[in-house]
Amino acid sequence: MTTLASAAPVSLLARRSEATFPKFLFWSAVVHAVIFSLAVVYAKLHEEAAIDLDQKPIKATLVRQGTPRDEKLLPRIEQPPPPPVEQKAPEPVAVPEPPRTVAPAPVPAPAPPKTKQAGEKKADPRQTLMGAFDKLSKTKPDTTGAADGDPHGDSAVAEGEAYYARLRSQITRFYDVSDTIPDAERIRLVAQVAVVISPAGQLDRARLAKSSGNDLFDSAVMQAVKRAAPFAPPPTHLRDALSKYGVVLQFRP
Amino acid sequence: MIRTLTLSLLLCPLLALAQAPVIEISGANFRPLPLAVPLPQALNDGARTVAPEFDDAFFFDCSAAGIFQVLDRKSYLADAREGFTASTITFSRWADVGAEALVKVQLSVDGRDLRGEMRLFTVASGKEELRLVHVVPLDQPRKLAHFFADALYKQFTREPGPFQSHMAFVRRAGKGKDVYLGDWDGKRAVPIAQGNINLLPVVGPQGDSVAFTSYRSGKPALYLQRAGGAPTPLVNTGAMATGVAFSPDGKRIAYSMAQGEGAQLFVADANGANPKPLTDTPYFINSSPTWSPDGKRIAFVSNRAGTPQIYVLTVANPKDVRRLTFQGNYNQTPDWSPRGDLIAFTARDERNAFDLFAINVESGKVTRLTQDQGNNQEPSFSPNGRLIVFNSNRTGASMLWVMTAEGQNQKMLPLEKGDYSTPDWGP
Repeated sequence: MTTLASAAPVSLLARRSEATFPKFLFWSAVVHAVIFSLAVVYAKLHEEAAIDLDQKPIKATLVRQGTPRDEKLLPRIEQPPPPPVEQKAPEPVAVPEPPRTVAPAPVPAPAPPKTKQAGEKKADPRQTLMGAFDKLSKTKPDTTGAADGDPHGDSAVAEGEAYYARLRSQITRFYDVSDTIPDAERIRLVAQVAVVISPAGQLDRARLAKSSGNDLFDSAVMQAVKRAAPFAPPPTHLRDALSKYGVVLQFRP
Repeated sequence: MIRTLTLSLLLCPLLALAQAPVIEISGANFRPLPLAVPLPQALNDGARTVAPEFDDAFFFDCSAAGIFQVLDRKSYLADAREGFTASTITFSRWADVGAEALVKVQLSVDGRDLRGEMRLFTVASGKEELRLVHVVPLDQPRKLAHFFADALYKQFTREPGPFQSHMAFVRRAGKGKDVYLGDWDGKRAVPIAQGNINLLPVVGPQGDSVAFTSYRSGKPALYLQRAGGAPTPLVNTGAMATGVAFSPDGKRIAYSMAQGEGAQLFVADANGANPKPLTDTPYFINSSPTWSPDGKRIAFVSNRAGTPQIYVLTVANPKDVRRLTFQGNYNQTPDWSPRGDLIAFTARDERNAFDLFAINVESGKVTRLTQDQGNNQEPSFSPNGRLIVFNSNRTGASMLWVMTAEGQNQKMLPLEKGDYSTPDWGP
């Protein structure tokens, strides 16, 4: 066989001559260093705004139906609505619990405000009477949700995996954090708890995967998970994953 | 080399499968920290006699702080003779009661001194967070208690506590009214001015004197007096002067003086010299001045619009006056928070009840602090702006109460029965 040394293409898998390797390494290092320093310079020049530590959390309130209070009068403290009664049979329409992020909660869950009473001044005695009739008729036209909504639902629209949302609402019910943590520290706290849930919904394992740095917050977060157990049994398509790998719950204040 | 690389490439997807999903949970319910405060341990006989007084003051300070939920002592399960160090304390017993933090105090008497040691533990981890030793004269156990309470407050909130400050108040005595100066909780109060009618006290800039309005010379005039000292007249021009307020730096005073049919605000040096008028509304009353924490503005009550409302003026340019309250028709006794953002005031609502409100100076938003609990008046902020002391008649008698600046955790001050009014919480 004749060797066509110059005509045949050199295979890339063949070992190159040793002399070119250090040269290649040198130029590769130079190019990497240049790109890296460009990135560092770019980052320094385009510094993002620092976190505003004095920023207060946003308070959002929904106005409830009824006659507005005269603006010239001093405000009154609103009483929080009574906690929603746990329904025995699952409701066909979702009953929204007073949303936690809204203060003061606008829609009392068992007896929603009646539109036909809007003009009435003496609302209270009549409202309770009409409320009783409403409960008997079992129609709740004012609650927003879906026809196949969940009795534990707390949102007008569904988002993501339903079981995870259920977990979230169950844990948030027991999520109490000490008020002594200073505001400036609060916005930086993030804790992660890895939980493994058995197919029956029991809490197999719970461990603090990532500490927030604040002992009080860490213990509050572990307490919330332990008190919320046992959870609802997971659906079939999640059962395996949850009992083998579990989920990670990321808590922020 | 190439083989290991390709092998790791093949393994990567498997690792990705093993990643658990991350669910975000937020919206915590913030509530006060459950704190366990067991009885202090007295190490010798002398300490045993002063321990109850110390305990009274310390327990009340912790319960009134607003950031703690002090657990009922009757529910404590731990052994009362338990040790003082982390290794000798059974933290599980404290966790069973619901405590998240535990504070223990040991008292001992050393000659004429009272020595106290306080230790703070986190129950969940069993760690000792704070250890503090302090010595006070034997006759001042309350002073030790207030020192420890302040340290505890600062440990959690990183802010100075309000418990070592003073309060001045008025107590009815027969037909007259006496001015007293005491600890923040009203205890250890010494009478400053007795006999005649003495009103509207304010604690002086050093916390050891009180300026007040007195009718001892017939017409109301302003005096400054230390405990045990003689009253020094501040403003005694013959006209009626009331309602003195010290500027935050202690160098000036503001007060109201009657002129003709109305009353005008004046600002003067701390000894009353060089008075300068701030308002000029001849037929209207301007009174109850309160300084902003930077000393540049004064909030006051004026009825120039028909009903008493709260206004704010700039001291350097008094013509720059802005009306602050537009709700209600009877707003009085403003007190500017030392944090600068709120002014607390008394107002009469549409049901003719007197209640406390707070208005945000920038936005003008009014929030209500008390409701449906008798008449509540005359608020005064603590020096750190987190607590408010006020006068309430919800129990029948006119007593002094303390609450947080949001209106939570309202507690009556441990004073003996009497008729108290116009508290002023100062340095």
